[in-house]
Amino acid sequence: MNKEPLLKVENLSVTFFTPRGTVTAVREASFEISRGEVLGIVGESGCGKSTTAFAVMGYLPTTAETGGSISFEGKDISSLSKEDLRELRGNRIAMVYQDPTTSLNPSMKVGIQVQEVISEHLNLDQTAIDEKVVELFESVGLADADQMGDRYPHELSGGMQQRVMIAMALACDPDLLIMDEPTTGLDVTTEATILDLVASLKERVNAGILYVTHNLGVIARVADRVAVMYAGQTVEQSNVNDLFASPRHPYTSGLLSCVPKPPGTGEVSSRLKRIPGFVYSSQEANVSSCLFAERCPIADSECTTSVPALEFIGQDSQVRCFHSDKVEPDTWGGVEERISRKDVASPIVLTGNEITHQYGKRRKKYMAFGPDIDLPVRALNKIDFEIPQGKTLGIVGESGSGKSTLARAVVGLIKAQDGLLQLHGNELDKTVENRSNEDKSAIQMVFQNPTASLNPKLKIKKTLIRSLMRFSKLTKQGSEERAAALMEEVGLDPSYLERLPSELSGGEQQRVAIAGAFATNPEIVVADEAVSALDVSVQAQVLSLLEDRQQELGNSYLFITHDLGVVRYVSDDIMVVYAGHIAEYGPSEAVLSSPSHPYTEALLSAAPIPDPSAKPNPLRLEGAVPTMREEFPGCFFASRCPRKLGSVCDTEAPPVQKASANENHVINCHIPVKDLEIIQA
Amino acid sequence: MGLDRHPVERYAVWIKNAVRGDLGMAARGGATINSMVKSRLPNSALLAAVAFLIAVPTSLLAGVLAGIRPDTKLDRILSIGSLLAISIPEFIIGVILMMVFATKLGWFPSSSILLPGETILGTPKILVLPTLTITGALFAYILRMARANVIEVMESNYVRTAILKGLSMRKVVFKHVLPNAMIPTITVIANNVGWMFGGIIVVEFVFAYPGIGSLLIMAIDTRDMRLLQSTALVIAAIYAFANLAADLLYGLLNPRVRVGQ
Repeated sequence: MNKEPLLKVENLSVTFFTPRGTVTAVREASFEISRGEVLGIVGESGCGKSTTAFAVMGYLPTTAETGGSISFEGKDISSLSKEDLRELRGNRIAMVYQDPTTSLNPSMKVGIQVQEVISEHLNLDQTAIDEKVVELFESVGLADADQMGDRYPHELSGGMQQRVMIAMALACDPDLLIMDEPTTGLDVTTEATILDLVASLKERVNAGILYVTHNLGVIARVADRVAVMYAGQTVEQSNVNDLFASPRHPYTSGLLSCVPKPPGTGEVSSRLKRIPGFVYSSQEANVSSCLFAERCPIADSECTTSVPALEFIGQDSQVRCFHSDKVEPDTWGGVEERISRKDVASPIVLTGNEITHQYGKRRKKYMAFGPDIDLPVRALNKIDFEIPQGKTLGIVGESGSGKSTLARAVVGLIKAQDGLLQLHGNELDKTVENRSNEDKSAIQMVFQNPTASLNPKLKIKKTLIRSLMRFSKLTKQGSEERAAALMEEVGLDPSYLERLPSELSGGEQQRVAIAGAFATNPEIVVADEAVSALDVSVQAQVLSLLEDRQQELGNSYLFITHDLGVVRYVSDDIMVVYAGHIAEYGPSEAVLSSPSHPYTEALLSAAPIPDPSAKPNPLRLEGAVPTMREEFPGCFFASRCPRKLGSVCDTEAPPVQKASANENHVINCHIPVKDLEIIQA
Repeated sequence: MGLDRHPVERYAVWIKNAVRGDLGMAARGGATINSMVKSRLPNSALLAAVAFLIAVPTSLLAGVLAGIRPDTKLDRILSIGSLLAISIPEFIIGVILMMVFATKLGWFPSSSILLPGETILGTPKILVLPTLTITGALFAYILRMARANVIEVMESNYVRTAILKGLSMRKVVFKHVLPNAMIPTITVIANNVGWMFGGIIVVEFVFAYPGIGSLLIMAIDTRDMRLLQSTALVIAAIYAFANLAADLLYGLLNPRVRVGQ
């Protein structure tokens, strides 16, 4: 029997005609999906993944021009009438979107939003519809399924909202389910529960699933087959195990080797590999060469003069490369040993003692009388830390755990209410305005969003020279020379000094921000999610840059991230924070190996591992970090702890325990370390 | 009148009485301000209500039509027309309408003076031109607001969700676009009740319409401080109530603002 694939996309191209020029979002995308199969589409931003997904739904702006074909069960989507397309959408093909918060109608109860799909496509009476909605909510793991429908989207957490979206997509038993970055923007713990749900869908529904993501760990967890996209082309396609074990396209190989591996794979001894340059611009027209040639380490004259086609290299795998047989593990360079700093004792540069901060003020209901309303949010609770010279303290935790508040308190952007900050044993003022110029230049910061943190009206030169003249006491001439030198140190051409931030890519902007932070020869650089917004290839470049700077200049980092792979790669010490409390603190490898605090354990088990053969750890956290307002006598983690002992966790604050042989490794938990060791083994 | 006393003291006494609901005597004519306000206020309210009833539904409809298909011919005509209507002040629109419909065509009276024994409802013709003048600016304002909100909502992710559920355009517009686009629009309209009373002052003056606005102008003309204070107080109170009503309405329409279930 000739098996017709459910969805067949052939040489799809999508071009947008905008007032600012032509944008070719998709150039040559080809793939197939059969029933019961999950095809993952992976690639960096700007590679046309989402556009491809929306093209399958027949949903593109009127300014778009498409080429090639998309056939769903043998029928070309583009030839369908409006009515036929409506019959398909929501019914036969359903979609789950990246941002559930904005994808749900804010002024409509979620039950009605799910009902709508059912009553549009299925011929059911109202009671049957109501029953089906409850059933759907149950099937996606929403608690209180019968009450859920009466709630508005803003009353649900991000994870619950995404479950509602998935329930909505499953409402009419679609044949094809498209998921476009469904966990991007969710916390790692929530992401893990949603991924569990997607993985269970595979067994439950007989649909083909198109799963779009930039995250290789997620792909490894959910996909059966993977299509890698680069600059709008599918460059490689094969089953997930082969793809991760032996990538045949240099881009795939590069992507795999520039992702910092999450914990569980031993100490990081080799440096990250880097893919130079940026994604081939979608504003460029097609050229007669391989689009990856300018970034490719094995490109030769053939690659720059002729166009490779997507060719079968096995029964089930295709690749778009002339030299796929030459792609080896060391295509992107051999193993570069990292210089181990583990045993080097170094003096402490910065210490924090009992840093405490609350947002908001206590208010009474009637001016000075009545019950308390609006208790302050206890964002930081007696946080102690120390950062040795030339080393990196990594801080991890979910959003809302107080990471950024701590960073801001250290830099002095907020005035911590209590506690002591000391630089080389001398007290630091709590606010940056009151610090001396020396103290200000000693602690610098790099922010998450470089686009928003660089002044858009100032040329790069002005931005850099400002802090140079202020802090380094250089003349105009001298600071211009220094600015040029700084640019070279961060790997940018000094000609960029004359540009505006908007003329730079995100990765380049972050390099400028780093150059700005290093302009004052700081001792501590606070990096608050500094690589979170960047694509993996750019992230690897920036991480390497930070590493190089540290080795040359011997500065320390306070590195804040939610990504356990990144924190493991950069940190010497790690602090795990939860709801403003330290859960665990110690040397990096000690913290990331058991026994660990149940919260660390949960974070570790939630992190998606870019290896399809890895067995997912079933330990999960539901819900989100609580907002700590009231004084609570028990353990800060008691409300969500998967290893909760009993009432002691609710009534007594957890003791500090030494967690391992290492002198400095501590956890705040009631469970004896020995027991933790047994539970977690 | 207590003109021998200090102005601050006179003001304090006026406030004391005003709080009790007594605005005092007008400087001329021997009538109490209370009775003057009482006879004038319903006239203004009638003018406002008629203008509102005409402007709100038509402008909302036009705004939604323009917003759903932006950059079409209809949208361009409405957008440019409304921009013109907003840029020209009421007293000029009023005068132009007066020239065309009263002087040239003679369809409606150019002034709205009531002869003794006449009521507004008895001579509804005098309402037409003032209403049209107010409606013009209000119509344009609401139209632009509705159009902008509809365009914004049309581009939102949840409308995309609705379209990709396979709903018809009709359902998408009526169930998803309109409720969300109308929330801010209605709030703006409610806020405009107060603003409209400001516009009414000018319009009433132009047409010599016997409302609270022309009372205010009269107070200025006759240097009657007490009458001026009183009319300003009444207008400010209406403004404040309209804004309060707008906020409450917003809470009613928008589930995210509702608190204390």
